[in-house]
Amino acid sequence: MQLRQSFWAAIIVLAVAAPLAAHHSFAAEYDGTKQVTMSGKVTKVEWMNPHAFFYVDVKDEKTGQIANWAFELNSPNYLMRSGWTKSSLKVDDLVTVQGALSRDGNKQVNASTVKLSATGKVLFAGSSDPNAPR
Amino acid sequence: MRFIAPLFRATTVAAMFFLLAGTAHAQFLDEWVNYKWKDVPRTADGKVNLTAPTPKTADGKPDFSGFFMPRDFSKLINIAGNKPEDIPLLPAARALYQQRIDSNGKDHPGAFCLPSGIPEKLSIPDGLKVIQTPNVIVFLYESRTIYRQVFLDGRKLPKIDTDDFQPSWMGYSVGRWEGDTLVVETVGSNGKAWLDMRGLPGTEALHVTERYTRPNMGIVNIDVTIDDPKAYSKPWSFKVTWNLRGDAELIESICEENSKDAPHMVGK
Repeated sequence: MQLRQSFWAAIIVLAVAAPLAAHHSFAAEYDGTKQVTMSGKVTKVEWMNPHAFFYVDVKDEKTGQIANWAFELNSPNYLMRSGWTKSSLKVDDLVTVQGALSRDGNKQVNASTVKLSATGKVLFAGSSDPNAPR
Repeated sequence: MRFIAPLFRATTVAAMFFLLAGTAHAQFLDEWVNYKWKDVPRTADGKVNLTAPTPKTADGKPDFSGFFMPRDFSKLINIAGNKPEDIPLLPAARALYQQRIDSNGKDHPGAFCLPSGIPEKLSIPDGLKVIQTPNVIVFLYESRTIYRQVFLDGRKLPKIDTDDFQPSWMGYSVGRWEGDTLVVETVGSNGKAWLDMRGLPGTEALHVTERYTRPNMGIVNIDVTIDDPKAYSKPWSFKVTWNLRGDAELIESICEENSKDAPHMVGK
C-alpha cells in the first residue's frame, strides 16, 4: 500500500514540480479532463506575452463546417527558453494540436502539444495543465 | 489538491520530489541570448560552476547577485504543501481561502495582469535578476517587468498607519546582515496580493521576514516567516530555494500586451 501511494504521489508530484509558468489559474479557465485533438491550417500567430496564441481553421468532420479556434501557449519567453523561435509556428502551417478545452464554451484550447504536419515535429507548448506532456 | 494531501507524507516521496523537480529544471538549457557572464567561476566545459564557493562582495558579505529561477514550482501553487491544517488561519481568512479554492482561483490577481506580492513573488517561475550593492539590493523580476528594492543603508521600517504611507503590491523592504545571512523585513503590503495561487490571503498588516543564505554559487535558500495578525493567529514559516541559471538574462514581459484570459476565467 505504501508503495502504491508513493507511486501515485510521485506522479502527482511530477506534475506539480514541472515548470509551469501560467500567469493565471489553469483550472479556472480550462477543463483538464476534456482533452481534444484538432487539426487544420494556422490562420494567425500572436507571439506576445503573457501567453502566445495561435488560431487554426478546424473542420467539423460531422457537419463539414469550418470554424476558427484559438489555442493558448505558454509565454514567448518560456517557449524561447524551451527551444522555440518566433517562426516555429507560421501562418498556413498544417498542424495537429492536443490540449484542454475551455470551460466557458468558447472555441479555445490550452495547447499541450503542437505537431507540425510538414515535418512531423512535435512542439511542447509549455501548458500550465499540470498533467500535460512536456 | 485536497484529496491527495495525505499521500505527500511519505518521506520517500519527498526525496523523489526534489529529484524530479531537479529533472524538470534541467530542460532549461537553451538560452535566448548566447552571451557568457563575466567574472564567474566556470567548469572545464565552460558552464558556470554551480558548486563553486559562495561569491563574496569586496567587504566580505555573501553576494546574492545573479539570475535565479525558483526550484520548486509547487510553492507557487500551494505554500501550505501537504499540511494545510498547519497554517494557523483565522476564521474569516479560512473562509476566504476556501472560497478561492472552491472557485479554482479564478480571481487571482495574475489573471488581470496584476503583480504578485511578497511572498508569492519568490516562487514565480519566470526568473529574476538580483543586483547587490552595499546599500541596496535590487530584484528585477521578469514577470510583470517589476522591481523590488531592499534597503541595506540602516533605515528603519516605515510606520504604515500614517496618512503619508502608501501601501503597495511589493511592500517596503529593509535588510540587515546577521553573519552570512541577509535578513529582509517587508511591511506596507496593499493586502491585494495572494500568498500563493491557491489563495492563502494576506492583509495590509502583513509582515514578512525572509532569511537569505547562499551556501554555494548555485543555490539561494530563503526561510520565509509570515506574520499577519489579521489573517493568521500566529506567525508561520516555509522555505523557498532558488537555482542559479548561469548565463541567463531577463527577457521583457509585458502582460498587458496580449492578456485575454480574464473574461474566460469561469472557475468551475
